[in-house]
Amino acid sequence: MELASSMSRSNDETVGRHGLPVFWPALLMFVVAIVLPMVAAALWLKVMTSVVIYALTAASIALLYRKLGQVSLAQVAFMGCGGWVALRLAHGTTLPFELSILAGGVFAAVVGMIFAYPALRMRGLYLALVTLMAAGGFGILVNVTQFPNGGDGFMGFAVKSVSYMPRPLLAQSDAAYFRYCIAVVFLGFGLITLHERGKPGRAWSLIRKSEAAAMAVGINVTGYKIWGFALSGFLAGVAGGLLAGNLQLLDARSFPPAESVMIFALTIVGGAWHWYGAVIAALLYRFVPALLNDVGISGDAAYIIFGAALIHALMTAPRGIAGQLTDLVSRLASGRREGR
Amino acid sequence: MISIRDITVSFGGVTALNKVTVDLSDKVVGIIGPNGAGKTTFLNVLSGFVTPKSGSINAFGTEILGLAPHRRSRWGLRRSFQKEQVVDELTVEENVGVVLDSLPLTSGEREQYLAAALEFTGLTSVRHARAAGLNAFQRRMTEIARCAAGKPKVLMLDEPGAGLSQNEVDVLRRTISDIHVFNGAMTLLIDHDVDLIQAVCSSTMVLDFGSLVTSGPTREVLSDPRVRAVYLGVEEIA
Repeated sequence: MELASSMSRSNDETVGRHGLPVFWPALLMFVVAIVLPMVAAALWLKVMTSVVIYALTAASIALLYRKLGQVSLAQVAFMGCGGWVALRLAHGTTLPFELSILAGGVFAAVVGMIFAYPALRMRGLYLALVTLMAAGGFGILVNVTQFPNGGDGFMGFAVKSVSYMPRPLLAQSDAAYFRYCIAVVFLGFGLITLHERGKPGRAWSLIRKSEAAAMAVGINVTGYKIWGFALSGFLAGVAGGLLAGNLQLLDARSFPPAESVMIFALTIVGGAWHWYGAVIAALLYRFVPALLNDVGISGDAAYIIFGAALIHALMTAPRGIAGQLTDLVSRLASGRREGR
Repeated sequence: MISIRDITVSFGGVTALNKVTVDLSDKVVGIIGPNGAGKTTFLNVLSGFVTPKSGSINAFGTEILGLAPHRRSRWGLRRSFQKEQVVDELTVEENVGVVLDSLPLTSGEREQYLAAALEFTGLTSVRHARAAGLNAFQRRMTEIARCAAGKPKVLMLDEPGAGLSQNEVDVLRRTISDIHVFNGAMTLLIDHDVDLIQAVCSSTMVLDFGSLVTSGPTREVLSDPRVRAVYLGVEEIA
């Protein structure tokens, strides 16, 4: 009896674990991809495109936080790395757009692997400080080098008459590019799910529980930690490449280090334990300020809301808004079952 | 057969293990001693979390001190911890299967080993349940299944009976006794429950203040006056 009740409890929890089944997010993304460009004005389409892109960044932060318990405050710098490489390749070569953002992702992954080295020895606040300083360093670097913008060749910098980054052949218009981003981000989420449900996910869970326990079952702790940072960096790098394609122009102000802190905080508010927590984080980050601007309130007021939301999340909702939604859905579902 | 020669471990000024030399060859070997005797440090040396200052360990012909901890596990040295290390968000089968992930197995072999280990520990019915919903006994058994899955050579169980009821300890005792039949591995068992040690361990080693007091057949060891003195203190003759 006791066993039976504990089993039914844990089976309920499997619903919470992966969030909704895979079918629903796929359908939801598909519907949004089709409908939104038809109804949204040009400005809102741009806003929603960056929401989609930042959802991937938030997912890359959530991955590290959830699976390895690591705090990275450098994800926007990773985006910068990816965006930079993608932009330069687009201007300097004739590579297709896909290969440019892939190269940006790989470059950011390599940078992420370098970041993993301090993470092997420290965690929590200390690692967060190291990543924040690295992000600050990146900010200084791009300022000094004048982030090569739309000039010609690899290091081209143009003050006037910059050329825009070409978009993928299939997605020249804003509407098509929005759909293109959804497809890429969907693949990114799929990559995360694939990792989490497989061998790396199990290994990361053990590492988060205890490194000694992980080693005792034969897990190469160093290797998997580095792999986690590389994957996180890769996803942020791809997001950076997509952002380059969205704005078609990047400059030294595109990736301010402080934004890494903001997007990290919003990932916690959105919920790091559910895939749609990243979507909520991105909506808060890009959509809410635009909405406030639209109704005549300064977008900066959003920061006050974010601060309050963070305090709320830390005090009452450690699994974020997505966790609260999931709890609500499972409460309603179990209520309906009992009512039957 | 595990040959341990002159293992010395010190933490700062404290000698946790002092020239421990012992041969372990029975199917289930008990390790006993009062708190702070160095039992867990001894397991930590074997599993590679603590590097000894001196000494050597040869297990079934392999010098294991040269291997990194995760390589020792892949080689066949498994252990459980005093505080069980079952991951809540994973299912029972994932918690157990993680030990097979790093071994070169086909998916058929993996499934076979996994199913056998779950069956052996009586966890087949909760296989797909999340570990968060398990009770303390099921969590212990999950950890033992994780240690026993596949073809390990040595299992080291650190106080598996702690906090279990008498009925549960009875099941645990049968399980531990059957490990050798199940997968051919040798078991090193640390526990404070002398009844459990007596029931499953054919030989036992006793540690006190980091030194080996004695080792040999369990019955003889437990009736040794030196062992009684370690546990009960020496009677002062006034």
